Amino acid sequence: MSEENINSDNSGNDFDFLRMDWHKFLKARKAGGGFKLLESYLNDDPGDHDFPETRVLWIQGAQCTGCSESLLDASNPALLKAFEILNIDLKRHEAFLAHQGLFVDGEPANTSELNSEILLDEISEQGNYILMVEGAIANGPHGSGKYFMSGNRSSKEMFKKAARNADLIIAVGTCAAYGGINTAGSDIVDILDYRGVAFTKKDPSKGMLKLLGIDKPVINIPGCPPHPDWIIYTLSAIISGNVKIPDDLPEVLDEFGRPKVFFPPDHNVHKDCPRKKFFDNKEFDTCVGGEKCLLRMGCQAFLAHADCALRKWNDGHSYCVQAGSPCIACVEPDFPDNARPLYSSKKNRKRKEADQ
Amino acid sequence: MVRVTVDPLTRVVGPLRLDTEVDENGIITEARSSNMIFRGFERIYRGQDPRDSILLSQRICGVCPVAHSIAAVNALDDLYGVAGSVPKDALVARNINHGLNTISNHLLHFYILWGPDLANPAYGNVLSTFGNLGSSVWKEFLGRFAPISYKIDGEAIPPGSSYVGVIPMKKILHDAGAVIGGKMPHQTVMYPGGVTNNPTASDVQTMSSIMSEVVDFLNATSIGIPFEEWVGNTYMASSPKKAADFFIEHLHELTERSLRTNDLSRSNGWGDLELYSALGSELIGEKILGLPISLKHDKMSGYNDLSKIGFLSYGDFYNVEHEGYEPTSPAGDRFQTSGFMTSSLEYHKFDSDKVTESVKHSFYDDYEGDKHPYEGVTEPFTDPDRIDYQDFSAEKYTWSKAPRYEGIPCEVGPFSRLLIMKEPLVTGLVQLFQDNGYSPFNSFTRMIARMQELFIITNEVIQWITTDLDPNGRFRVDVDMSAAEDSRGMGICEAPRGALGHWVITDNDAKVANYQIVTPSAWNLSPRDSEGVPGPLEHALIGSTISAVDNWLGVDFSNPTGILHVGRSYDPCITCAVHTIDLTGKNPPGMVRLL
Repeated sequence: MSEENINSDNSGNDFDFLRMDWHKFLKARKAGGGFKLLESYLNDDPGDHDFPETRVLWIQGAQCTGCSESLLDASNPALLKAFEILNIDLKRHEAFLAHQGLFVDGEPANTSELNSEILLDEISEQGNYILMVEGAIANGPHGSGKYFMSGNRSSKEMFKKAARNADLIIAVGTCAAYGGINTAGSDIVDILDYRGVAFTKKDPSKGMLKLLGIDKPVINIPGCPPHPDWIIYTLSAIISGNVKIPDDLPEVLDEFGRPKVFFPPDHNVHKDCPRKKFFDNKEFDTCVGGEKCLLRMGCQAFLAHADCALRKWNDGHSYCVQAGSPCIACVEPDFPDNARPLYSSKKNRKRKEADQ
Repeated sequence: MVRVTVDPLTRVVGPLRLDTEVDENGIITEARSSNMIFRGFERIYRGQDPRDSILLSQRICGVCPVAHSIAAVNALDDLYGVAGSVPKDALVARNINHGLNTISNHLLHFYILWGPDLANPAYGNVLSTFGNLGSSVWKEFLGRFAPISYKIDGEAIPPGSSYVGVIPMKKILHDAGAVIGGKMPHQTVMYPGGVTNNPTASDVQTMSSIMSEVVDFLNATSIGIPFEEWVGNTYMASSPKKAADFFIEHLHELTERSLRTNDLSRSNGWGDLELYSALGSELIGEKILGLPISLKHDKMSGYNDLSKIGFLSYGDFYNVEHEGYEPTSPAGDRFQTSGFMTSSLEYHKFDSDKVTESVKHSFYDDYEGDKHPYEGVTEPFTDPDRIDYQDFSAEKYTWSKAPRYEGIPCEVGPFSRLLIMKEPLVTGLVQLFQDNGYSPFNSFTRMIARMQELFIITNEVIQWITTDLDPNGRFRVDVDMSAAEDSRGMGICEAPRGALGHWVITDNDAKVANYQIVTPSAWNLSPRDSEGVPGPLEHALIGSTISAVDNWLGVDFSNPTGILHVGRSYDPCITCAVHTIDLTGKNPPGMVRLL
């Protein structure tokens, strides 16, 4: 690891990134060209990476598996390497592991090695795990949660079971954090009644935890999907103990429960945009395929608190605006309603009027 | 009679419940497939700009988002009247983007979602009764296909080499998808009239080098002979018989080389595909190659009533010899042809008017008979007490509607596509199974078809990237937004798991009046229809055995490998099978619905 990657303003400990302010973070990234926090930590302290095992219980509600797919795309380090370094034991995951729900004449069958429902009960009885939630949780129709059923239980019951004894809940993706696409405005949105873990859109009183009367620390990692770095670096900060749960959370999270270092309140995607000079010169594209500012094509980058333009996606290959497409601010609590109509600047004007 | 339920069938996208009744001999006699989620997806487009569907539809499925954006953009090309003038460079870019996602999906399915079932402890028990050969086969299965965090009888099993090896391939295929598509999953570049980005010469290089890594993986892991040799002798064979003969002859050579030493390792020439091809099928493994044992996956899901099943493909990947494309009747002008095939392999031209749906067995209020999607009515249950799937004899049991083609339930996916495009290897294998008294429609041929399509699309994507993609080309035409007033558009394509259609109707403000999506999983996982005819997966389960290797070691209801293999062979995706609903009943027919 190069010296440049060490953040000099942070006493050489760049592993403590969740507590960095945005400017320090940018500086560290720019200087290093990459943000190899895990490796740099290991190089700094080769004898001190034997973390105790961290058990992770992963459950899926209403979602598209895009968050899990994105996690598989982790580059720096790769997913399995990160799990190895952090000594993560992924106990349960509906998309990757061996188990499935098994019932014979209505009774749970086989053992937890093959039965995901027995496994869920066993892990949740034992406690001592991080619960990672992908997808929104159904409350409809009429508070029953029956619009999402799995393993003979509603997602609401499944979530309750999994949340009750968790040490920490990480809501992965905009659906789990805020409801996401499942809460998009329509005439049926109230009947569907999908909820995020601790928020529904911007409203913490409508989070599923509140409804169930469960109080747990929550970290939201939104994004549709979230960048794999955001997930892995957050896990690494917690597992390393550099961010203490729950004491440090008020300091490192914003008002919507997001790590400020990836979703900085005072910084947005627009500020790092490679097309920013066109905005400054008031040169706007009105159809796709140009190289100018995409504001009039509906770009929401100035409302999107995230580091996409610097971090970029898929091992740094590209991101939405670089590919000629407007930012749709998918990390924001009111996604996708905040950005609709997606290819129109009219919404920006309306929002500005509403703000005044 | 024992009731065996798999709920959820994990390693699919979204919650799927497979409920069966099994007789004392371990044969499945009744089966129900239940989609356990309701999201009301399409309703969010109503009254909005139709272009939103390009990006938002991808949120239906994070595994095949590109297919949804292709279907959406095809519907919009049609809506804005620009399908005939999309520049061929844009068609090439779309093909690459879509093809990369198909390759990535098939690798994910074979290795991460389906492969771990080959490491099921039931196979260890069966194979251990076959001496050294059985032990070495089991060693290969575990060593290649075991998933992460896996244990058998409390003993931790290290993840398999193929399972671990495919994750970096998935990652770099998404990297290539980001190069051409902005990011993955949920890329951003499809737009009516073309694509938003201009690929550069450096993008071409990046994607080429990623594809060469993918080919290296296929050569090192999936097949024991060079990729070009495989494709040249199967996909490019001069006849189906030659392709099948090559396949069998290749497996013969490997088998002869290995039987004395019981060495089925990669270094002895056994790629994952050969290993599964020789061991997965009773006909090929036991009867043709003379092996003492097989998994008998070719005896699963044979469709016992062949008058009640068909095979459907909408056709896919643009012809890049000329600009523009025909959005509604792609029969001859796509790399993969469209069509409907009966179980007696009779080909018919695809006609979208023949698609209908019924809701008799779904959690919606009934209507008489079947309706074309444009006339569909969907009144969902909002009383929680009516949403009950526990009673096996209950009429209503799923959120999926039942799509039919001229009243016939249809299997969709790689097997149907390759059958309809007359791909030599799949056509030859179908003939081979028929000639030997086996149903050619089974879990084994379905998986071989998926792998074969993986090779074919890889071959095409490399050509599109290295030969056809011109960074100095034209990537879009202008779109007249007013063309969307009182208009309609139909977009069809083939998602990795089968036929996918988007239909959009706009009002006089050029806003969406209706948006409809019929997904592959609605076809494959369909419930019974108004005539009581089961959907393909339900039909496939009936008559299959519940336990490993045709109940070889007796019946174990608590480890129903039969249900797992048959279910997962369709690459199911439940979140795709979403419905929109009409709660008010105020919308005219055709304004609602859908899967």
